[in-house]
Amino acid sequence: MQRFTELVVFSVLLAGLYATMAYGLGLIYGVLRVVNLNHGGVIMAGAYLGWLLHEKFGIDPYLSIPVVMAVSFVLGIAIYRGLVRHLPRGPAGGVQSLLLLFGVWLVLRNAAYLLFTGNDQTIRTEYSTRSIAAFGVALSVNRVAVFSIAVLSLIALHLFLTRTFTGKAIRAVAQNADSCTLVGVDVERIYSLTFGIGTALAGLAGVLGATLFSFNPSYGSGDLLKAFVIVVLGGLGSVVGTAAAALILALVEGFAIYWLPAYLTGAVGFVILVLVLVVRPGGLFGQRVLG
Amino acid sequence: MKLLPHWVSRPALAGLVVAVAVGAVLPKVLGLSVYSQNQVTETFLFVAAALAWNWMGGYLGQVSFGHSAMFGLGGFISARVLLALHLPFWMAWVVGGLTAAAYALVWGHPTLRLRGPYFSIATIGVGEATRLVMTYWEDLTGGSSGLSLPITQGLKSELYWWALALMALVMASSYALRKSTFGLGLLAIKSDVDAAADVGISPTLMQDIVLLLSGFTVGVCGAFYASYQNFIEPGDMFGFDRSISFVLMAVIGGVGTIIGPALGAVVFVMLRQYLIGSYPQLYLGIYGLLLIVVILFEPLGMMGLFFRVARRFGLMRPELEATLEAKAAVGGAAADPGAREGSAP
Amino acid sequence: MTPTRRTLLTAAALAASAAILPAGPARAAKDTIKIGATLPLTGAEARIGGFYKEGYEYAFEQQNNKGGVKVSDKTMKVELQLLDDTSTQATAVSLADRLINSDKVDFLLGTYATNLVEAQSAAAEQNQMLYVNGGGAASAIYKRGYKWVFGLLAPVELLADSMMKWVDEQQKAGKLPKPAKIALLWENTSHGKDFRKGVSEFAKKSGGGYQVVVDESFELNGKDFSALLGKVKAADADLFLADAHLPDYITMHRQYVTSGMCHKMASYGARGSEKQAAEALGKKNVEYVLSAVWWSPLLAEKSKLDKEFVDGFKAKHKRDPEWYQALGYETARALFVAIEQAGALDKTKVREKLAAMKIPSILPGGELTFPAEFGQQSHAPFVVQQNQPDGSAPIIAPADSATGKGIAPNPNCGK
Repeated sequence: MQRFTELVVFSVLLAGLYATMAYGLGLIYGVLRVVNLNHGGVIMAGAYLGWLLHEKFGIDPYLSIPVVMAVSFVLGIAIYRGLVRHLPRGPAGGVQSLLLLFGVWLVLRNAAYLLFTGNDQTIRTEYSTRSIAAFGVALSVNRVAVFSIAVLSLIALHLFLTRTFTGKAIRAVAQNADSCTLVGVDVERIYSLTFGIGTALAGLAGVLGATLFSFNPSYGSGDLLKAFVIVVLGGLGSVVGTAAAALILALVEGFAIYWLPAYLTGAVGFVILVLVLVVRPGGLFGQRVLG
Repeated sequence: MKLLPHWVSRPALAGLVVAVAVGAVLPKVLGLSVYSQNQVTETFLFVAAALAWNWMGGYLGQVSFGHSAMFGLGGFISARVLLALHLPFWMAWVVGGLTAAAYALVWGHPTLRLRGPYFSIATIGVGEATRLVMTYWEDLTGGSSGLSLPITQGLKSELYWWALALMALVMASSYALRKSTFGLGLLAIKSDVDAAADVGISPTLMQDIVLLLSGFTVGVCGAFYASYQNFIEPGDMFGFDRSISFVLMAVIGGVGTIIGPALGAVVFVMLRQYLIGSYPQLYLGIYGLLLIVVILFEPLGMMGLFFRVARRFGLMRPELEATLEAKAAVGGAAADPGAREGSAP
Repeated sequence: MTPTRRTLLTAAALAASAAILPAGPARAAKDTIKIGATLPLTGAEARIGGFYKEGYEYAFEQQNNKGGVKVSDKTMKVELQLLDDTSTQATAVSLADRLINSDKVDFLLGTYATNLVEAQSAAAEQNQMLYVNGGGAASAIYKRGYKWVFGLLAPVELLADSMMKWVDEQQKAGKLPKPAKIALLWENTSHGKDFRKGVSEFAKKSGGGYQVVVDESFELNGKDFSALLGKVKAADADLFLADAHLPDYITMHRQYVTSGMCHKMASYGARGSEKQAAEALGKKNVEYVLSAVWWSPLLAEKSKLDKEFVDGFKAKHKRDPEWYQALGYETARALFVAIEQAGALDKTKVREKLAAMKIPSILPGGELTFPAEFGQQSHAPFVVQQNQPDGSAPIIAPADSATGKGIAPNPNCGK
């Protein structure tokens, strides 16, 4: 029973991080119909930035979040304005943008190699190995912090998208960009902004991940795939959907250890991804991805 | 010549013969060292693999990031067959290729219903899941320790000729797949699946055929690689980096064109040659930059550049220009350079 | 452009590509011994590759300072031709091919990392080129019946075995329960598999002294081990034996500590005493962790040969060598000795000398041999170390190299 509770609690905590990883990807796809294959690269960049700020200036990684997000936001806008904007929208642009952003990811990986070498890095703070007792389980301080921040940011994002004018404009553009132009929304600006926000969320996920795990320039590819699973499972544009999907993925991965060798639990996410895409491409919350 | 189908043009045939002849005399004429000859063997192999990838990524327009699954499966099955049955190696390659083809069909048939980026994402999932499972499946792949094949003296130089033959075969098939009636059907599917179905082309059947062919060929390439290297292991054979290399070769060379991927493969090997010597740490970044440049400025990659030059010098025939418009780099007809500005989703 | 032109273009491109490839060079007069090697100087293994480079270069420097290698009546300098294989298999093989067939080196020294060595040694064997390596530990490399491949790195099964022997002594002395339950976690690589084999076989042969209650592999650079560690916790084992590379060690042990686990004995295979780990995890959390490694600078306390090496290296680099530099150094030195013994550069003669070699060595046990029964892989013993509260990590086994006493069970696990 103890083990069961532990697994549930750990999975829930991890789901927070997963949801943050997925949301940026889903937002960009939902609004621009662009699959940001550079998502993993930005996650990695966020991790390194947080680490760098901690190493050089002693800034606690959680406190460096605003900086990391700001930098990622600017990076996102730059990538959009400089590169993505020039591609055709819609189904034709789909695979082209995929390849383009993939190229950007390769460049980012190489840049990280040159700057920081391929060695694995960790962020160590004095509370890295401390734990809090809750639900009869010893919880790592870091995991609780990551979960809390993840939940707060998702709530903030949800409020932004539903309560502010810009947020509503973003959702409107996701539904029908042409109509938005007709009512005077600057669609290009919205695209820029969305790409920036999506990238900022990836940066956030990177910093949060860096407090939990060690990382190197290849960090982010596994997270990217998990993010895909969640986006496809949870549908697009729905914070609730993303959160639910993240939770499902985390729980399935965690409990898979009861009937799969631990090594193969890593494959669970991929299998879910392919199955969901094939069986119910609209995800659990409905959204056409065929045609 | 009545022996050949009507769509085979004389110049193309001549071109193929010349290419094979050049490949055959290359070692003697240039006085290549054993090392250089091996490099050319590898180039031939990658040309074949890139062309086979292109049948799906370029002709069909479905970009796969998971082709290493077939490459690896072909390699390991062939190696196991060689270790257990002592068949002539080319037979083992065929067995490997057939297994890879079957596997491609298993995961490809259901996922090919997906369009564009979603298919590509699914292939990443397939590729990685395959890698994990295969690394775990020790009885087949030897797990992370990999498999070693017994060493046969003189095999590597013999493999040069096999690689040349493989490449020639794949080039011919590439030409056939594009120019034949079958190829026209593929173009139709790529442009508009529903319209193609309306005129009686069966997209599912044709997709499955391409899947099988592509999977078989890439599987044979993997099997060749196993015989060539004498040692293979799942991390390398099934790795994401390997899948990416196929994509890079085809896209940089000219995805969707008949021999673009061949050029891309040659550039890939040349670049790697140059980079290992001088700037090994810039490997990834340079490919990334090339990819970005190609997608933004010349979706047809190197072939696109040649076409531009040819057009400038009036070397293009009018009907070729027309097909170029229809021949999109990726993503169907709407990727036509003329229709670039602001098309809404 | 017509199809003919297109195909001609391809042919031309192929020809051009071949043209930039090097053709065979002319043979110069012979007064240096050219020894080729590749190492992962960039890429995933760059950190350790760099250390091996230090070892190789130090050996070459030392030898040339002595005048060189005595080849019957001549003394020839040794020259190292080192290329970067970027931690990739294909590159390692390709570069080996180049060194052998294009640069025409006399001998090859190996690279680092089992999968690279396994692939590269096949290329060497195919070309019948002598290949002496200190970077590939998997016994699978040496079970292929190759004649030209020699390895200084003892197999990881022996690592597990050495550690279990010490644990066994503690059990016999009553300090650990009998039977003792083992939770065995191993990264799914050649290294991890061999570690697992070593532990399982020892447990099997112990006749009931040890029970493996958890036996799970995990992916290299896995991130979240909570489910796996949960399983370990539930199994209530006495000994926690894991085999992981440094990043996984840090991530896993952090999660281990946070979850409040503490076993009577814990080990992460060859990891444990790294300073980087102590920094990343906190000194208190790595106390009493066991590790076994191919060589330690602490061997200098009991062995003159080791002291000479350590002092010399320290004088040059201002820090202690670790097992990477030591193995690199010893690998090169073994080749030099073999050449001198053979009195010729003829690879068959040198090969014979290596096969029959029995020389004093800095390796634990003090002797270097390449036993034919093990496929020409050295089986020198491992040094077992344990992190002590004062920050040191003395050698606790084998007895003749020991510089301290190990403590079992872990006193921090008091309930």
